[in-house]
Amino acid sequence: MNAKLLVMLGFLAVSLVFLLVAVTIPLSVLPGYLKIVLLIVSLVFDVMAFSSRYYSYLIIPMLQQRGKNVVLSNEQPYWLSATEDAIIKKDKTGYTATVYINIPLYKSATDMTDEERLEFSRQVSRLAGISREPIRFTTQMYMMNKDSYIQSIRDAISAAENEEAELMQKDADQNSLEIVKGKLSMWRNVLESVSKISSLELSTYATLSATGIKEYEAIAVAQQKAREAMSGIGSVLGVTPSIITGKDMLRFVEPEYLIPFSTISQEMTEKVEEEVI
Amino acid sequence: MDEEEVFYLILSLIVIFIAFGTLQTFGSPWSAIAALLSLIAVAFILIINWADFLVFPLFTKTFGITFQPAKDYIITKKQDSILKNVSGLYYATGFVTANLFPYIFKEEQQDESQEEKLVEAPQKWERAVMTLSFPFKFHLMSVASDVQKVRDELEAKRGLQEFQLNREMQSQKQSEIAVTDIRRKINVIQARIDRISSGEKPISSLMYIETTAVGISEKSAIDNLASQIKELQVAFSSLDVQLNRVIGRELYTLFMFNFSMPTTVNELVSQFSKEG
Repeated sequence: MNAKLLVMLGFLAVSLVFLLVAVTIPLSVLPGYLKIVLLIVSLVFDVMAFSSRYYSYLIIPMLQQRGKNVVLSNEQPYWLSATEDAIIKKDKTGYTATVYINIPLYKSATDMTDEERLEFSRQVSRLAGISREPIRFTTQMYMMNKDSYIQSIRDAISAAENEEAELMQKDADQNSLEIVKGKLSMWRNVLESVSKISSLELSTYATLSATGIKEYEAIAVAQQKAREAMSGIGSVLGVTPSIITGKDMLRFVEPEYLIPFSTISQEMTEKVEEEVI
Repeated sequence: MDEEEVFYLILSLIVIFIAFGTLQTFGSPWSAIAALLSLIAVAFILIINWADFLVFPLFTKTFGITFQPAKDYIITKKQDSILKNVSGLYYATGFVTANLFPYIFKEEQQDESQEEKLVEAPQKWERAVMTLSFPFKFHLMSVASDVQKVRDELEAKRGLQEFQLNREMQSQKQSEIAVTDIRRKINVIQARIDRISSGEKPISSLMYIETTAVGISEKSAIDNLASQIKELQVAFSSLDVQLNRVIGRELYTLFMFNFSMPTTVNELVSQFSKEG
């Protein structure tokens, strides 16, 4: 019997017990207002029994924790497989491996004729029906990661600032001081222009999952499914799909990879400075 | 109404029927109160059954309850966004349904306008994407259905409609509106059967848009997310899709899809019943 049904039957049994107590004990022993209290408790459990159809995963932690922040899980939702070609999630029944497939599409509707657009729409329709098991196709627009570039500019600015301070301490000649100041101003301008607007990238990928009792089993099945899906995608769109590996996968999973931390914080600083000044 | 829904409804309502049947045991005037409470419980169950996405967020908002679906993530009390705090920056993620079902099935016309829509679709898509200047993901989750099974189901539905049409035609108080309505339904089902017969694969699909906003506080991230969602709704409105913000348990389900997808059709279908 599955856990959801057990939760429902449990609540229903409690509800029935309260109701039976309320209706079987005579009024001389249990006054009417106490019977109403028991009825209310019974009805609350009955409503909870019905709600468990959708919310069985929430009701038990809510009752156990009785706090305002209900913790459903305190663990990382996934981890990267050792082979770095899938993300793994563990649940009560086993492991689920999820594989991401890159679909390199570089077509633009602006450059297409009406016939090509019609054909492209039909290709996309055909793509949706390539798999008998659930597959997800995604077009994702994400912020270009300029974190390392911004960091290298910041390093250059710090180096130039140190150089300027040293020259000022040494009472160096005006000419070399001007050169350093010029360098500093150049790097600051570069940083400002880099972080003025977000650069966005668009990519298309497919996602599919497979389960297994062991981690390696789930990965093997997911990879097999991915290979089948890739051949379908390739034949429908005429492109060469590939399995995404390593940290590139995190861009599709974690928000801080979708919007890189340094890139956005620099952008926000620029925006605040602009507004304040 | 599916079998599971009927099962849960019947079992839950049995308790209330017992309460109704034993009202006299509460004595006067408590029996009237007991009847009223039982009716309220019935109303609650029916509301949860058909609009749980309204009741559940109202409950969590009233009591200020938030959920932690995984480490570092929080589902807000309004049940409309998921927050993550990374080194003092808040990332808020929200979802919008973008089902193209009505776009395809409400029309059910195999005429030239369908072809025109297909020609225009890539350009409309490109224009929509170009107007947006923040990260988002457009997801299409699909699975090819069993052709024979879908065909059998459609033929059974057509048979039922034809039976209703015959009954309506033979009735003495024949209603022209009802006859037209049944004929329209038969045409729609026939169009689907014809499409399958011509080689088109029946597909079950689910489409939704995910977007993430960033802010220096929870409030600013949530506010930015709300404005991004509005922009998405405007940008994609040209594609004739239903764009409703996802609230409640489906937000949790879609969030979990980022880490593991359903592996069977039944698993996928059981997750979504009302909101989308």
